[in-house]
This record gives sequence, C-alpha cells and structure tokens, in this order.
Amino acid sequence: MSIITTKNLSKEYPSKSFSKEKILALNNFSFEVESGEIFGILGPNGAGKTTLIKILLGITNRTKGEITIFDKEINENSYKKKLGYLPENHKFPNYLTGEEVMKFYGKMSGMSGKDVKKRTDELLKIVDMEKWRKTKIKKYSKGMLQRLGLAQAMINDPELIFLDEPTDGVDPIGRKEIRDILEEMKERGKTIFLNSHLLSEVELICDRVAILNKGSLVKSGRVDEITLVPDNYVIHCSDLEENIMNRLLTGFKVTILGSNEFHFKTQSYEDLNKLIDFLRQNGILIRGVQREKNTLENMFINLIGSQN
Amino acid sequence: MIFLTLVLSTFREAVAKKIFLGFFAISTLIILIFLFLINVDSVEGMVDMMGASGEEGIRNLVIGFEVGMINISYLLIITFCLISVASFIPSMLEKGNIDLLLSKPISRTNIILAKFTGGVLLVFMSLVYLIGFVWIILSSKSGFWHFPFLLTIFWLTLSFAIIYSLIILIGVISQSTILSILVSFFLVFIVCPVLYVREETIFTLVDNNIVQFIINFFYYILPKPTDINKITTEIITGEQVKTYMPVFSSVLFMLAVLSASVFYFKKKDY
Ligand SMILES: Nc1ncnc2c1ncn2[C@@H]1O[C@H](COP(=O)(O)OP(=O)(O)O)[C@@H](O)[C@H]1O
Ligand SMILES: [Mg+2]
Repeated sequence: MSIITTKNLSKEYPSKSFSKEKILALNNFSFEVESGEIFGILGPNGAGKTTLIKILLGITNRTKGEITIFDKEINENSYKKKLGYLPENHKFPNYLTGEEVMKFYGKMSGMSGKDVKKRTDELLKIVDMEKWRKTKIKKYSKGMLQRLGLAQAMINDPELIFLDEPTDGVDPIGRKEIRDILEEMKERGKTIFLNSHLLSEVELICDRVAILNKGSLVKSGRVDEITLVPDNYVIHCSDLEENIMNRLLTGFKVTILGSNEFHFKTQSYEDLNKLIDFLRQNGILIRGVQREKNTLENMFINLIGSQN
Repeated sequence: MIFLTLVLSTFREAVAKKIFLGFFAISTLIILIFLFLINVDSVEGMVDMMGASGEEGIRNLVIGFEVGMINISYLLIITFCLISVASFIPSMLEKGNIDLLLSKPISRTNIILAKFTGGVLLVFMSLVYLIGFVWIILSSKSGFWHFPFLLTIFWLTLSFAIIYSLIILIGVISQSTILSILVSFFLVFIVCPVLYVREETIFTLVDNNIVQFIINFFYYILPKPTDINKITTEIITGEQVKTYMPVFSSVLFMLAVLSASVFYFKKKDY
C-alpha cells in the first residue's frame, strides 16, 4: 500500500536575480512511497530534495501536480497530525531548553500534556539527551541539536517521518545510532522518508531510493536492484599476443588496459569462468582476478555525470 | 488547543526577550510611587491648595491622575511592548524554524491570528496589572471608585492591537524587526500626532484644496491612536465623545492589514 503518491509534481521558483528565467526546482516528478519502508531521495546539492519534502508538507506551494498522503489529497492540515519532520538546518527558539522544545512541538502536533511528557522522557533517553534536558539549547553542539531534532520529529509517534539530511553534522558513532533508531522505527511499521546527499548513508539504510538531479527523477528502485549492474573484473595475466587480444575483444568484449591487463564486465560467474577457460586453453598464465563491486556511489557518479 | 499553544508560546518568547520585563519593572515602579504618594500627607495638602476640597476636589484630583496615567501607559506600551512584539514574526520566519511550524496541523491563517492574539493578550494583561493596581490604590485612598478609568485597559489594548497588526504585516513581508519598529514609531510619534492636529497646524499654513484633500485622505485611512487616546480621556473626564469615527476607521485598518498579512503569508514559500 502506498502512503505517499505524487503525480507530475512541478515547482517553479521565481528567479533570484534580475534574469527572467525561473528556477525549475522540480520537473514532473512522480513517485510512490510504500507504507513501512525506508525511502531515500538521493541527489547532489540543489537537486530539489528539500523542495520536494517542503511541498509534501505544505511549507512550499507546488506549481502543479497531485499529491496524496495517507490516501487523501493534501488540502487541509489534518494529515500533519500523523507526521514527523526534521528540517535541514533546523533552528529551534534558542531560549528554550531541550525539554521545552519537545513540549512545544508535541503540543503543536495536537498531543495532550500527559502524552507529551511521557514521550519526552522516552525519546530523550533514546537519543541520549537526558542529562541535557534542562539545559538551554543555545548551549548545545550541532550533534546534540540534531539528536534533539530527531527526538522532536518522533514526539507524536508519527506514522510517516520526513528527515532532511538527518546525519548532517553528526559524528560517525552518532550516525550509527541514528540508523539504529530509524531501523527500530521501521520495525514498528513506521514509514521513513529521508533526503541525503551522502550515498553511503542511503545505501546502508534505505529499502528503495529515487535519484534526483536538477529536479528530475533519474532512476528509482530497490537499492540492490539499482546497484545490480555488471560487476567489473580486472584480470592480470602473462603477455597477450595480437590474435588472442583480438579474440578477447570480439568474443568477450573486454577493455584492454595494457599488454598483460584488461577489464571484463559481466553479471554471471559462468561467463567469467568461460573467459578463464579460454585464457588457460591458450596457455595464458593468470596472475590475478580482481573484482570491483559496483556501489551506489559509482552508479550515482555515472548517472549524474552523464547528465551534466 | 494547538492555537492556544502558539498563543502561550508568545508569552514565553516575550519573557525571554528582556525588554518586556522592562515594562513590568517600570509598571511596578509606578505602582510603588502611587502607593508612596498616596500615603504621604502632602497629597491632602495638595488637595487643599487646589482650593477644591471636599468630594468635588478629590474627584477632580483622582481624574487628573487618571488622565495622566492614560498618557504614561500609552507611552510605555508603545515603547516597551511594541519593541518586544516586533520581533515575534521575524524570529518565527527564520529558516529552520518556520518550516517546522508549517509542518504542524495548524493553518497559516491561524498562525498569524495566534501571534496576534498572543501579543494583544500580553498587553491586555500588562495593562490589567498597571491600570488595575493604580485604580485600586487611587480608589481605596480617595474612596471614589471611578469605574470608567478601567475602560482605559480596553482602549489602550485596542490602540496597541491596531499598531501591532501593522507590525505583523511589515514583519511578514520584510522579516525585519528594525523596519517594523521604525515604521510603527514613525507612524505613532510623528504621522498620527501631526495628522491629529492637521487642521490647527498644516491647514493654517497651506490652504491649497488638493493638498488638504491628500492630507485628509491619509488621516482617514491611517490608524488614529492619538484620537483614540483623546476619546479615552473624554470618557474618563465625563465629556461628551464627539465621534467614534477614529475607532471604527482604525479597526477597519486593523482588519484590512491583518487580512493582507494572512494573504501574503499564505502565498509565500518557505
Ligand atoms: N525559496 C526559494 N526561492 C528560490 N529558489 C529556491 C528556493 N528554495 C530552493 N530554491 C532553488 O531550488 C533548487 C533546489 O533546491 P533544494 O530543494 O534546496 O535542493 P537540495 O535540497 O536538493 O539541495 C535550487 O536551485 C535552489 O537554489
Ligand atoms: Mg536540501
């Protein structure tokens, strides 16, 4: 069941400078997020990731397109009761203490005072901010603010949570902790929508991703599917003669790197073994076979690179 | 409930901004001065000196104090409270703060109205404190319980609300506290008083009909806190109020400006 559906979503910002050209931050973007999954939007800075979240939350008005969240067109504000949101570079009123921040945003989500208090105690423990709860947040470090921000986004036990660059400014240990918290939310059936320009993050945690570049959808799918492109092998061997090289080029479509080194791309181990058989039959000595796994990062660089 | 949370958050914000506490400090000082004066014999001497002893004399003296209080309170509200609320909207609109607020289940119209209500309620309570205490002190000492003075709380709150609506509009459009303060001070301390006495001053110098028409035009469309103060004084001294036009036109101004703020706020992307 899909929890978010958009159809042909577009957003034009008025131009910033005097030039007439408008900024097309989102261009006919259509996608779906399934209930209970961790969905990631991936893209370089300025791709339109933040704009997308803000439109879904009604912070920014869309230029055109349809949006359904929890099976309803988003016309009124009631759907926001079951949402959580951690903005990019969030800024809470700095005269509040950690505890007061939780209280304010909890009540703003329509929770009762009693529920807010109970959730605050639980969540501050989870994000390890208990001992700072009475401290004014102007004394917090970036990492602490991010933890508090995450706790705030979970205050109303949301069905759907939006996180814009959640691990920004957080150290590696903190990142791991944040991932664990998100995994735990997923186990409880919640849906997580996150934006990131950090591929390794997304790869580690997301079930599905959409790659966004210059406002357009480049590719989307399961992380393992997207990264399932032919693996690359580098083969080192004894010197290759001219006729062997030609047969490698025509028969196996290899890329020659040198007289005793070449690239072979394949998805099946069968093909790899056929190549090895061929080399051995022709008396070539194999010195090494190296596998270069295709990561989301490689994929991403290739995709984005080919667009620019 | 959500609306109320936002209203109450403005109180929290006002307390965090020290300037509002200045209002309380000065109010308390004024109350203490009244307490002190009233317990000094010289006041009785003053009444005698004014040659209007007896009930009539006390009445006049009390009313005299009250009229003085209208002007003092007005000045305090405009300086301390206006400066303190002028940052409400700009700080709410800061990036990273407004995003989160708009993701909550409350409409943009209600956000503006909550901020407006919060500021107005804050000033109302401040005036209840200041005017209320002064009234109790004056009345209990003089034995003359002059209820119309309490209406000052209402009229001054209204004047504040009218100017505050303009502060909200400027805040929503410019996101600048300084600009909000400058424009409202210019209006309150220069434009309104001058327009109030336009007939006795400008019109005696310029008798060009077109210029007079333009000046009158501005007088009628702009808010008129100076006139409202005058009406308050008339009510307290028991004079006949000539016209309530300044009140109605100022309230219209307030409604128009608030609507404009909501309209602009709704259209804007954050
Ligand atoms: N309020 C705005 N006004 C005008 N242009 C904007 C505004 N917000 C974002 N943009 C532009 O829209 C594009 C997408 O921005 P954004 O959604 O923030 O990207 P990302 O989050 O992927 O880094 C950028 O070109 C940015 O300059
Ligand atoms: Mg962004």
